[in-house]
Amino acid sequence: MNQKNIKKSCLYLMAVLIVIGNFSCKKSLDASLNVIPGNSLTNASVWTSTSTADVFLNTIYGYLPDGNNEYDPFDNWSDNSICGYSWVVSRTEAQQAIYTPATLNFDQLPYTWSTLYTNIRACNVFITNVSSSALDTSYKRLRVAEARFLRAFFYQELWMAYGGVPIITNPLDISTQGDSVFRARNTSDETFQFIDSELGAIAADLPITAAESGRATMGAALTLKGWVELFDHQFAASAATNMQVINMGVYSLFPDFGSLFLPANNVNNEEIFWREYIPNVLGGRCDSYDGPTFTAGGAETSWGGVNPTQELVDDYDMDNGKPISDPTSGYNPQMPYVNREPRFYESIVYDGSYWYNDTIYTRQGIGSPNEIDLSDHDDATQTGYYLRKGLNDKITLGADNWNNGTSAQNYYYFRYADVLLNYAEAQNEAVGPDASVYNAINQIRERAQIPDLPPGLSQDSMRTDIRRERRVELAFEGKRYWDLIRWGIAGTNLNQELHGIAITVNNGVLHYTPVTTPGGDHKFDVSKNYLFPIPQSAIDQNKNLTQNPGY
Amino acid sequence: MKNKISQKSTAYFYRLRLSVNSGLSKSFFLLCFIFFLTGSVAFSQNNNLHVTGIVQSDQNVPLSGVSVNIKGSNVGSITDKNGHFSIDVPNTKSTLIFSYVGYTAQTMAVGSKTYFPITLVSANKELGEVVVVGYGTQKKSSLTSSIATIKGQDIAAQPVANLTNSLGGRVAGIIFTQGSGEPGYDGSNILIRGIGTTGNTQPLVIVDGIPRNFTQLDPNTIASVTILKDAAAVAPYGLGGANGVILITTKKGKLGAPTLTYDGYAGWQNPTVQTKFVNAYQYATLFNAADDNEGAPHAYSDYALQKYKDHSEPDLYPDHDVLKELENRNTLITSHDLDLSGGSEKIRYFASLGYLAQQGLWGPTHYNRYNMTSNVEADATKTTKVNVSINGRVEDQNFPGVSAANIFYQAFRTPPNAPLTFSNGLPGSYIGRSAAGNIDESGYTHNIGNTLLNQISIEQQLPFIKGLSVKALASYDYNPFSATDPTDPTQPIITFSRTWLTPIYFYAYDSATNTYPLVGNDGPAKPQYSEEYLQSQAFTYQGYLNYHNHFGKSDITGLIVLEERDTKTSVFGAGRVNYNIDVPELNNGSANSTDISNYGYSLETKQKSAVYRLAYSYDGKYYLEASGRYDGNYYFAPGHRFGFFPAFSAGWRLSEEKFIKDNAPWITSLKIRGSIGQSGALAGSPFQYLSSYSVAGNASVLGYTATQGLTESSQANPNITWERAKKKDIGLDANLWDGLLTAEFDYFYEKRSDMLFAPTVTVPAEYGIGLSQVNSGIMSNHGFEATLGSSHRFSNGLRVGLDLNYTFARNKLLQVFETAATFDNPNRRITGRPLNTQFGYKALGYYTSADFDANGNLLPGEPVQPWGTVHPGDIKYADVSGPNGKPDGQITPDDIVPIGKPYTPEIIYGISPSVSYKGFDFTLLFQGAANRDFYDGVYPFDNSSSATIDELNYWTPTNLHAENPRITTQPTSNNTQTSSWWIRNGSYLRLKTGQLGYTVPEAMMRNLHLQSMRIYVSGQNILTWSHIKNFDPEVSASNGEYYPQQKVVSVGLNVTF
Repeated sequence: MNQKNIKKSCLYLMAVLIVIGNFSCKKSLDASLNVIPGNSLTNASVWTSTSTADVFLNTIYGYLPDGNNEYDPFDNWSDNSICGYSWVVSRTEAQQAIYTPATLNFDQLPYTWSTLYTNIRACNVFITNVSSSALDTSYKRLRVAEARFLRAFFYQELWMAYGGVPIITNPLDISTQGDSVFRARNTSDETFQFIDSELGAIAADLPITAAESGRATMGAALTLKGWVELFDHQFAASAATNMQVINMGVYSLFPDFGSLFLPANNVNNEEIFWREYIPNVLGGRCDSYDGPTFTAGGAETSWGGVNPTQELVDDYDMDNGKPISDPTSGYNPQMPYVNREPRFYESIVYDGSYWYNDTIYTRQGIGSPNEIDLSDHDDATQTGYYLRKGLNDKITLGADNWNNGTSAQNYYYFRYADVLLNYAEAQNEAVGPDASVYNAINQIRERAQIPDLPPGLSQDSMRTDIRRERRVELAFEGKRYWDLIRWGIAGTNLNQELHGIAITVNNGVLHYTPVTTPGGDHKFDVSKNYLFPIPQSAIDQNKNLTQNPGY
Repeated sequence: MKNKISQKSTAYFYRLRLSVNSGLSKSFFLLCFIFFLTGSVAFSQNNNLHVTGIVQSDQNVPLSGVSVNIKGSNVGSITDKNGHFSIDVPNTKSTLIFSYVGYTAQTMAVGSKTYFPITLVSANKELGEVVVVGYGTQKKSSLTSSIATIKGQDIAAQPVANLTNSLGGRVAGIIFTQGSGEPGYDGSNILIRGIGTTGNTQPLVIVDGIPRNFTQLDPNTIASVTILKDAAAVAPYGLGGANGVILITTKKGKLGAPTLTYDGYAGWQNPTVQTKFVNAYQYATLFNAADDNEGAPHAYSDYALQKYKDHSEPDLYPDHDVLKELENRNTLITSHDLDLSGGSEKIRYFASLGYLAQQGLWGPTHYNRYNMTSNVEADATKTTKVNVSINGRVEDQNFPGVSAANIFYQAFRTPPNAPLTFSNGLPGSYIGRSAAGNIDESGYTHNIGNTLLNQISIEQQLPFIKGLSVKALASYDYNPFSATDPTDPTQPIITFSRTWLTPIYFYAYDSATNTYPLVGNDGPAKPQYSEEYLQSQAFTYQGYLNYHNHFGKSDITGLIVLEERDTKTSVFGAGRVNYNIDVPELNNGSANSTDISNYGYSLETKQKSAVYRLAYSYDGKYYLEASGRYDGNYYFAPGHRFGFFPAFSAGWRLSEEKFIKDNAPWITSLKIRGSIGQSGALAGSPFQYLSSYSVAGNASVLGYTATQGLTESSQANPNITWERAKKKDIGLDANLWDGLLTAEFDYFYEKRSDMLFAPTVTVPAEYGIGLSQVNSGIMSNHGFEATLGSSHRFSNGLRVGLDLNYTFARNKLLQVFETAATFDNPNRRITGRPLNTQFGYKALGYYTSADFDANGNLLPGEPVQPWGTVHPGDIKYADVSGPNGKPDGQITPDDIVPIGKPYTPEIIYGISPSVSYKGFDFTLLFQGAANRDFYDGVYPFDNSSSATIDELNYWTPTNLHAENPRITTQPTSNNTQTSSWWIRNGSYLRLKTGQLGYTVPEAMMRNLHLQSMRIYVSGQNILTWSHIKNFDPEVSASNGEYYPQQKVVSVGLNVTF
């Protein structure tokens, strides 16, 4: 073998030995495989910086209900509206109340058991870690209060939907807490007390006006507190809490009801707690999910997800402030859309309304694509009505909106009208129709440009008027179903045929006939449906959970 | 005299190496290619004694490229394309050596002769055959593991773009399903010996020794595909081996004169099964019938029905065959390939240029591929072998702006009476969507994939110990796998993607004015554009120590390999919306900050391993082998990163024993073998040992400003590690009557443990977060494989052959996380059943009027179904059980039972007869699958969809045994419950491929100055027999909305110049 070859061989051997060298020591071997993931942070880095901790809290705000991205909003579960197409859960599941522990599905609605507990965990993680961090005390006070507010909000949703639920206030960890992570349900009262006391405890830590709009404020906390008290029939407490909000003096009704819900008025003095949108980035889709289906040329520029019912339409007063049931109101069933109160025209698209550069005809027999869809064959209205309130027809409707999310208007969780209505109702129940009740309810009516309620109403008449006022004022804001539940009238209102309006043309004269309509036949089993069933999967995973009665 | 080629090649290699060092530039690639195309192989001889001759095979076929050497000298020659050679020898005492791969070398003393007709005898096929194994090659006769091989020539010239589709049905051990026919995404999911885990089931794919994507390699450049199946075969791959390994070996140069070959085909593609829909009249009638069932007024008047029937006003009362009108027929697939191969003793080269173009079902969809390969192998010194290989490709894909999934979704929804297009060609719409516009007006997605696989290896014999050699291999791969899904070797490689989305305007017909106004837009209001750059790089280093020697009857082989592999991936994307300028460049988009977006991330992986193999054999009868790998991976926590995966195997060649040789001479070869061992599998995702938080994109809006998101990842599991597979295999290989019948049988059993499960069911739903996966699942997988082959050549030249293969694999979950609700109910228990067993309600048939009272209420005693009011013609389910294990009069989840087998077939088989006679050759491959069930979730009017023709057969009081329940305007909740009603037998048999070729006689070739020419007709998925009539049996979407598999018929030409 010549020298050259030996040299060469040595070179190769060296190459091999270098590799072998790498394997020589176990520890350095392990270390040589270290890779630091680029997309994750550790406990140490998250809770040492306010900007990082803020990002965590901001994420939780994103878990709040996304009301402007629902193609089958919660009012479709109530007697206010029917979805224009039949495959959604409001029609396959809620309408006939056929949901079971195994099948309950809220689709995009914010009441899913496991999702709410995921949100609550995020709050608990934030509260626990920020509280024990070395971050600035004033920062901790403010942000922990925000997180506790958000947690109370999520518990409120659980409580309304399911009754008493396990109250978990720490991040669960099965490796350290063992079987204690399997919690039993707290009672409904305990759950209420927890929400109520939390909100009471943190209200003072929250600002009157948040540094960034959309964050929790003292007003938001008190309004939520007043609402859960009302829901729990704690009328005196609710009246007092709502009066606290009124007395803050920072909120007032926005003068124009119709444009309150449009992007141009996203900033106003009426809003108390709301969700914001940025078109194309985190925008809404409601304008083309829930509006009139067909517009100019028969183009489907919305899915028609919300079709108001005749029952709701009948609850709008005449412009003289009288309900249509009042013989002196001047209501003519064959000219039903004449001289109604302004909120009707600002909330409902009806036969002959103008929307998105087109006149919408829901009447029969003229070949209109929007003709009432009694055979349920497309997305056209089931009722002869479409939604207007909260929708914006000044943007490009259709695929651009539902694909890219180009809606910019806020979604209100609470606005000052809620506080006034909550107060009026609570005070009327607790004390009776005193002047403060009139004052509250008439503020709403004055803004709506209708006359005040007549003086001297009995408590019962006032209750009726408040309920109708509430239905009309808060229609399509996700409140109606819970009102039917807490008033105990779901067994009536959700256990009947809901109606649409069949409009026929005879010699140029329109005739209006209320009709039953696909999707209008509702069922509600009072023996169990006042609460939703706990999902079977949750019960399967936690033997300590008991099912709600009747399921 | 020094061989000139050798000098030349050394010089080139010096330059090549420089290029490699200076950064693997494209010029290197170019240089290599030019070199191979132009480098002529020249010899010059100045000696006195000139001899000539011809070399032929024992079949009397002239052999080209046979090396003719003078013993004891460097002088050599090779035979030309007609087998002729000429060489100058020093004197009559010289001896010539004739050698050729696959043939026994022959020595011939020159003597006084000057002309030598030489016949080379082919080496015993089986004994001499060498197969590729992990980190090396082995003689087939000495194999103790279970390995299947597909020859490159069997998969070339099939009119398929994706190599995964060429493997199925050819050998035992591969279970596969092809879920889509979309160009670029039409690969099959390949499972070696079925599914053995709940985790990742992808086999490891190794191309020329390195983990790489193989799906879009040029089929003409594949030398062989080897499937490693049992523990002994996969042991060298450690924690990559548990799902089996596919080894792809690309072609290398062959000794011989330069041979230039062209292979090309043109084929025509059509869906294997065209799903048929109702026409407008049928649709309207069906809808009216649904309205009748619901007591609703008819949606379509008699006038409308008449119009749908007579087509007199097509713009007002259209009648479209939507799918058929959207799709093109007889779309083209073409391929052209040019190979150059040749070499001398000292240097061998192979170079190839390939082009493939495939059209899709609609104009914008097409796939183009350009492959370029070169491989040079040189004996740099007597003891040094250098191999340089470069394999590059460019994939160019174009699609409409709307994805195929969405196009099919829309096509399935659009009813025949919607204006798909108007008589003037303008696109119409249905519920705000435009199925026709989605294809032609939606913009595009244009993907480019650049892949460059480079490697260089140097092998050095170490002369101080006989049989010892070292080898070093380094590879640098640019985009060897999908950047977005690196663990799936079959995912398409995309390195640059452009997406331009435009408004999809659609029109309406206004009969009053007879105009077609623009009425809507199914796309963005203004164009949007985005770009994405994806890049991955892999560096692999291998150091080999090889030893092979024999002492007396003992034969010893040893191998040690150290390997290190790092990969780096980065992705970057940017986009803008609201384009005012119709030119798709980022800079032309809106300057508004909310219209601009970008994102990016990077990934890194590391792996280190040591591989060994020790083999001992005695007397060619008894074989023992131990192999394995010590493997380390970055996935896990320090201290849990390295594992050891050993295997042992043994074989006994009974045919070498005297008692067989003497008593059964018809047994040419007979071997039994067995193996046992452990291998591993990476599953789940990396870093689950870290408790961490993940950063997300936009999460919420506060202060009218979007903010980022940060969420808790799942809770850490510091002990997480790989899956372990214990595999056993026992096999028998036989060759009877000198190859008239060959047979191979294997029984295998695998137990996979430490399977990763996210133990969500062990914590309450109120826990609020997932736990990291834990190593706790156990499942078994067993099966049987058989391969039979027979071929016979009759004296008149007729050759017939028949190959059969059969694979059966069935798994069983032994330990998984399960809730009490399923575990405690023997019907619903997942444990003990095959993975992905389909569960649902047991359908008894339809309700009839006899089940109801006069008011339409169910008679007492009928179980209550909770999905709304039922009527005659609705599906009735069995009350199998209840909370106490007994029927409770209610249909609840307690009544769920197993209703079907998994979708993945348990049985795959192939039958391949072949005949050749004179110039003709004819081969068929029938491929079938059995023991699989498909869930048919296609319902009429579902989510405003159309209806297929099958759905005309629905229940009525006079059609009690219809295929479908009573018709409703939206399928009812009751009838769409997951139930046995919708389970379909998914068995099928296909004529997967067929080829008829004719080789033009040599005499004619001489006039054309060509060596050989063959023309052929070929096909893929030519015929299909299945129980599923309106879809391909491999339909991958239960609602039928997917890009269908294609059948291809092609004509091709193969010429050797």
